[in-house]
Amino acid sequence: MSLLQRERDVIVNNEYVDKFDFEEIESFIKNAPKELFISHHFKKRDRLLVQPRGGFPTYKKMFALYEEFMKADIDVLPLTVDSNTRLNDYAMSKKMLALSEENEMDMLNGYPLVTHGYRTTRKMITHFNKPVSLRHGTPDARLLVETALGSGIFEIEGGPITYMLPYSKNFPLDKAFLYWKYVDKVCAKYSQLNEPINRESFGPLTATLVPPCVVIVIQIVEMLLSLEEGVKSFSVSFSQNGSMMQDIVTSNVIKKLSRFYADKLGYSDTVINLVYHQWMGAFPRNKELSDSLINTNTVIAAMVRADKIIIKTRDEAFGIPTMQCNAQSVANTKYTLRTLKGLPVVHDEEEEANLEAEVISIMDAVLSDHADTLWRKVFNSIRSGIIDVPFSPHIINKNEVITIRDDNGNIRIIDKGKLPISDKCFAYEKSKVNLPPTQTEVINKIIHDIGAML
Amino acid sequence: MNELLIDIGSTYFKVCSKEGISQHFRDFKKNIYDDLNTKCADILSKYAKEDTYICSSANGGLSTLIIGVTNSFSLKYAKNIAYNSGINIIDTVLYGKIQESKIPSETLDVVIIVGGIDSVGGFFDEKLFAYLKKLTYSNIVYVGSSKDAHYLSENIANLKILSNIITDKLKLNEGELKEYLTNLYQEDIVGKEDIKHLYDITSNQIYSTPYIVNRSLPFIDAEFDVVNPFIVVDIGGATTDIHYSRDLVRDNMLTESEYDRLVFKKLGVYKSRETLIHAAKNNEFVYELLAYLNVTENILDEQSEKALRILMQLSIFLVLCKVSRLNSVYVTLKLEQLKSIVLTGGITKVLTHEECESIISFFYRKIMNLHHIPTIVLDSNYDIWTLGMVQQHHQRSETCR
Amino acid sequence: MKVVTGVVGNDIHVVANRLIDISLQARGCEVFNLGVNTSLEEFIDAVVETDADILLISSLNGEAEGWCRDLQFLRAEYQLRDVVFVIGGNLAVGEAKDSDIVPKYKSYGFDLVFHQVDLNTGLDALEQYMKDRS
Repeated sequence: MSLLQRERDVIVNNEYVDKFDFEEIESFIKNAPKELFISHHFKKRDRLLVQPRGGFPTYKKMFALYEEFMKADIDVLPLTVDSNTRLNDYAMSKKMLALSEENEMDMLNGYPLVTHGYRTTRKMITHFNKPVSLRHGTPDARLLVETALGSGIFEIEGGPITYMLPYSKNFPLDKAFLYWKYVDKVCAKYSQLNEPINRESFGPLTATLVPPCVVIVIQIVEMLLSLEEGVKSFSVSFSQNGSMMQDIVTSNVIKKLSRFYADKLGYSDTVINLVYHQWMGAFPRNKELSDSLINTNTVIAAMVRADKIIIKTRDEAFGIPTMQCNAQSVANTKYTLRTLKGLPVVHDEEEEANLEAEVISIMDAVLSDHADTLWRKVFNSIRSGIIDVPFSPHIINKNEVITIRDDNGNIRIIDKGKLPISDKCFAYEKSKVNLPPTQTEVINKIIHDIGAML
Repeated sequence: MNELLIDIGSTYFKVCSKEGISQHFRDFKKNIYDDLNTKCADILSKYAKEDTYICSSANGGLSTLIIGVTNSFSLKYAKNIAYNSGINIIDTVLYGKIQESKIPSETLDVVIIVGGIDSVGGFFDEKLFAYLKKLTYSNIVYVGSSKDAHYLSENIANLKILSNIITDKLKLNEGELKEYLTNLYQEDIVGKEDIKHLYDITSNQIYSTPYIVNRSLPFIDAEFDVVNPFIVVDIGGATTDIHYSRDLVRDNMLTESEYDRLVFKKLGVYKSRETLIHAAKNNEFVYELLAYLNVTENILDEQSEKALRILMQLSIFLVLCKVSRLNSVYVTLKLEQLKSIVLTGGITKVLTHEECESIISFFYRKIMNLHHIPTIVLDSNYDIWTLGMVQQHHQRSETCR
Repeated sequence: MKVVTGVVGNDIHVVANRLIDISLQARGCEVFNLGVNTSLEEFIDAVVETDADILLISSLNGEAEGWCRDLQFLRAEYQLRDVVFVIGGNLAVGEAKDSDIVPKYKSYGFDLVFHQVDLNTGLDALEQYMKDRS
């Protein structure tokens, strides 16, 4: 038995989990309908797939949510897990699920997938016969992903950087890399049986003035880490920046360079997709304004020619949306996309050249690190600030980079910290902003820029 | 493998060459060098000094007293570095309470003084010097604010000054202190009558065994059925070591290593048998445990093979208790997330897999309220140690190139 | 001026914390930022190690309640009489009046209390307080 298989046996042998039957899971995946694989839909490239977020504790309520979504002609169903499961606290999930079932009250902020188990969850997923995407935020997602794949969830979001730097203060990053290697290996293994399992990175990061070059670098390295384990279908992603031009530039560069680096490292048989997240920062408390923001985002997603859009709801500022509200948001987005025709193809050569040069400088620095494995090169780069995510709570993140918006809403770097971008690129960034005269005003502007959509 | 690897323990030593591993119980009438020479003369003669690598825990390791100005920074950082450098016995004094702190009676190998970022001074005064006068120690090192370095070196004889372990951003800086402590170990051996001749048979640095074990940990999941996060428990004659994955704790420290180490100096099964039994008798679950093992407490006073097995099982249980929520004095590990427990050291030669499993099951059921237990790996052929020794050797040859 | 700052409680959204850090630096302070989820002992110990002039604690969801009752005691133990203790953010769960909150936190040992005060207004007041003191 391979070392990986022996590790898998240990991982699924858990107090809160029914016995795993790997053989049965393999045969299920082998014979699963193509409809369940988002990679199959991506290959057609015939439309922008629409996916919301959503998860309720009980099977019954989750089923009802999916029914609502189906009525709205959804493309991709979400499965968002609760925060206890994200922290591997299955004991608490179990307890809270029981309370939710008894009291008909939601005691969890998502679907406790590990607690329900793959046998139960699979019934629901095969019933609806739509691709499902796993949304979580877990540093150690080994058991969660095994359960998801056994359930028929064939898209796994997340990665060692994008699920760590925005969410954790002190989970050791080196361990996160190892745990995500496991996830990628298992996804790669199952990808050989039928259509490939799609892995998706989480580009929004802290959703707080993250400069596009940092987003793109992190998307590329997480993609490469997955591809080197044998993943064949991967989605890079980013969220609305605040300037339509910068979104288009980001899209053009991320598409070009993710393909470039995948080919360069010998993974030319991989399918790379682009996912666009609607605004991930603070939403207005006025629901009509929220609808308008969501609609603008849908237009931009179409303009950047994304393959999938992940949408918000008008209840965003108030917590978890009702299932009706969530489904309505899907219907609205589908409507906008159906009526939006004849989009122009836009380029900005100067901006694209600058962003491309920034990404390549950082990638060069990462790849030339002395470590012998890619994950350790990336790890060292984060530690030294070559990769630096503004507003990350994690102790390993340098937090030296400072950004601000220019007059057109573009995010610009005004303090590059240890980012190895050239003087020319940095001068270009700075030339675009008119900084207020005093530091206090600069801070006030940053505060204002963070809340750009309020 | 063209090297000869030797580990000197407090109760036995082991020798690893291309012919395999052998182990020999110590003859306490002889000094270690003579004992080793008598028992392994044949094999020793076959290897050159450059190809012989030795690690040792025989001298019990270095004893350390750390004096620092706060718990969250000075003491925590220095303790982490000391444990990970292979130091066994660590006591701490919080400087604000130095006048009420007890004076260790035995001679200390090294005293470490630490406090403050470099731009701040004036942490220490006469109280420190008065306290130091009451101590006996062989080495003293200062790793605090550079501002106080001059004042301290004027008042403390033979004070070694190294770079501050607390950076200007209040982060940990391991470098110099770690190197100093690992080298001190080497010097300590040279000075100890019992083992100083070991350098007659090797021209390589002699490291402490726990330091070597710690270095092998990032590699063991690729070679054994060990799944992260895991702990390695090394129950020896004098002390019990535990090495743990850093994701089992949450301590806001950025260190170089992925695994930390902790030592329970009074939980050995031979040299510290008395304190082990004492700790056992004070544990509220021990009588249930003895009943579970189908023995009475009289077994603790016996000197039999059976008694030794029970004692070893007890020590596994006590170590787990000490890192669980039951006991907040030491670090608390998230044992519910643990995937593997690796047992190494002499214990693997005595206990069977079933015996280890039974005691760990008992712990998980009683203390953790869980029925599933982590996988148990018995490192009965000293593979971890061999891996660590080879690793250390390769690292060295690479730096030389 | 040296300032130790950080956030009480487990709110992982550090935007405010980072803004305080940048703002204080912009005002010429040397900042030691302990980040989110910092314990009271860590705060005090950081003040000791850095000989800070100001301890600025932020609390976002009323988590400081109960948490900082030991402050007086620690302050005396470490002889930190000269250090200015400041707390700001959202100091109560639900609706609460300034006239209730400010005296309460002052009684816990804080010199300055900012409940739902915007960042720069708070920092201006802090700067003024430091000027008046010296």
